[in-house]
Amino acid sequence: MSLSIYYFLAITAVNILMTWAIYLPYRVAHLHFITIANMAISGYLAGFLVMSLKLPFFWALLIGFAVGGIIGYIVSLFIGDAPTFAVVIVGFTFIYITRTVIENLPAVGGTMGMFGLPNIGNSPAAHRYIILAILYGLVLLVGFLIHRFDSSRLGKAASAVFVDKDLATSLGVDIKKVGQLLQVFSCLVAGGTGVLYGFIYKSFHLDFFTFHLVGVFMTTIFVGGYTTLWGSLLMAPVLYGLPLLFPKEIQSWRMVIYGVILILILVLKPEGFITRKFVYNIGIRLSRKRGKI
Amino acid sequence: MKKLAGVMVLLLVASTAAFGQVVVNEWQIPFLNSLTGAIASIGEYLHWGANYAAQEINAAGGIAGKPVKVIGVDTALDPQKGSVEMARIVKDSLVALGPVPEPVIMAAMPIAVENGMMSITATTSYEYAAPYFPWTVSWFPPTEERLAPLVEAWLKQFSDIKTVVQFIEPYGAWPGMAKGHTRALGNLKLKEVKVDVPSDAVAFGPIVVRAMSQKPDAVILACNAEKAAKIIKEMKSLGWTKMNHILVFSSADTPELYTTGGKDIEGVQIYNYTNDTLDTPRWNAFKAAYMADHKGTQVPSLAPNYYDAVYMVKEAIEKTGVTGDPKKLKEERKKIADYLQNVKGFKGLLFEWDNVNGVAMTKPTYIFEVKDGKKKLVLEVKPKF
Repeated sequence: MSLSIYYFLAITAVNILMTWAIYLPYRVAHLHFITIANMAISGYLAGFLVMSLKLPFFWALLIGFAVGGIIGYIVSLFIGDAPTFAVVIVGFTFIYITRTVIENLPAVGGTMGMFGLPNIGNSPAAHRYIILAILYGLVLLVGFLIHRFDSSRLGKAASAVFVDKDLATSLGVDIKKVGQLLQVFSCLVAGGTGVLYGFIYKSFHLDFFTFHLVGVFMTTIFVGGYTTLWGSLLMAPVLYGLPLLFPKEIQSWRMVIYGVILILILVLKPEGFITRKFVYNIGIRLSRKRGKI
Repeated sequence: MKKLAGVMVLLLVASTAAFGQVVVNEWQIPFLNSLTGAIASIGEYLHWGANYAAQEINAAGGIAGKPVKVIGVDTALDPQKGSVEMARIVKDSLVALGPVPEPVIMAAMPIAVENGMMSITATTSYEYAAPYFPWTVSWFPPTEERLAPLVEAWLKQFSDIKTVVQFIEPYGAWPGMAKGHTRALGNLKLKEVKVDVPSDAVAFGPIVVRAMSQKPDAVILACNAEKAAKIIKEMKSLGWTKMNHILVFSSADTPELYTTGGKDIEGVQIYNYTNDTLDTPRWNAFKAAYMADHKGTQVPSLAPNYYDAVYMVKEAIEKTGVTGDPKKLKEERKKIADYLQNVKGFKGLLFEWDNVNGVAMTKPTYIFEVKDGKKKLVLEVKPKF
């Protein structure tokens, strides 16, 4: 496999997982950007564990997941049922706090960053295959879980919360518990993804976790469609891969093109390309075909 | 006569072996640079410098007789994009320039190292280049060792300094540079008061008041140009008059310092690694061409770096007899890397220097004073490594 395909596949998987990590809490109208901070916290922690304490990578990865989940749980105790705006503010604040803490921690490289993360496996090629295997294993697992969630009673409860919290409460939905569950799961996914993100580059720098990631994930989720998991899955490789194919002359217009696409989608197709109705119609067509056979 | 003929034949064979047969029609050097995004203006002049060198080289006959082309590869300040672009470049390039800046270096350089390709990071500090030796070179010696003697030289101009306030912005290599300043203060047994400058700060009144309450005799500014200028303005508004007792570090020596600072930065001293007051035909031509292409703007201090990098690649190719043959890619990449690690007497745009194990060890540094909005040379500090 060529190196450029490896990087394309690996970063696409990261973008899919992180977009899902934002998609899930958005099912109850929470834009949970704390996930970006979780990437950084778990990533740097895993880097420190592997580099300084010589912990095997897989243990560091598991700890990364766990730390993401624990932070998500603690924060969710306070904002599990908070309004969208409050969750956004908490997320941004958390990103700032995380950056400041890491900047002042010499053990993880401070403002300089962390260099020379080792290969997982015996060679760079083995490292790449292991990273891809873990990432796409995660994509399958997380995708499966979200799919199950979306079609479960809990998923329908989340949809009710998204439409009207009071209505959901009157239907007997514990909106705080649903919010907490989704926030914790998204933070858990973000924690593990952050570890893998750093090990793709074999280094960590605070600028790997900037607000530009918020822009990338938000564009993916809103262009792809925020009502199903499929929008993110299909749009992550397109939005990431498309600019790589742009001719040099229009490379500098990349952000403008992104912006225009986002505005057009929000105006013309507010639910994004892949809507629940679209998925439902495809499901019906497929079952009809199966019926004919 | 026979002896002479023998020597001639040997010389001919040796020169043929040394220079080989160049198989490329054009040398292509990819330059991983931030051509769009937040630092696109810096990326533009870095690329301009590299491109100008290529034009000069081509006008003088090219590299080993073949023209050279610098190909700008945009990373848009994005580590994701930088790594994919580097992965493309390492497939068949002999040597590359960049990446720019540090987050992209950290994401993309491991790919160059893994594939044994030299990529010259000419604008970053030693600490960001050293982890990737021998597949890059450092344009500067280790930061603390380089800056301590420079700041000591600045301080020794004055006899009334006992307490120094240092404003430090926590960004990239800047806290490391501040450590170099601190070392100088320690060597001279002066008291230091550190003041943090938040990266997102827009108003500086409170931090300047707090700093001035320490009654400093001198101030060092290790923060970005705009913040440095605003801090100086606040200091002046609080009655600071000893302007040459303010030292601005090199990373803040950019056009924003002069446009934001205006007349308030008159008399302030600045250190930098390039002396643009130099008067040589080569530098003057570079300066004139730059100003002509940039509406009369002064040459930024980093603009010559990739100009020199292109000439360094030229020298490496010509001196090692690299042919550009794709079949010898691995071997020729190594030849270039080995040569650049210890290049001697390299004739850069502004000065000559030697690389010692990948590090430029003999470059001088300079202290300037702002007079009538322009830098005037005060001191040249030669390294003592």
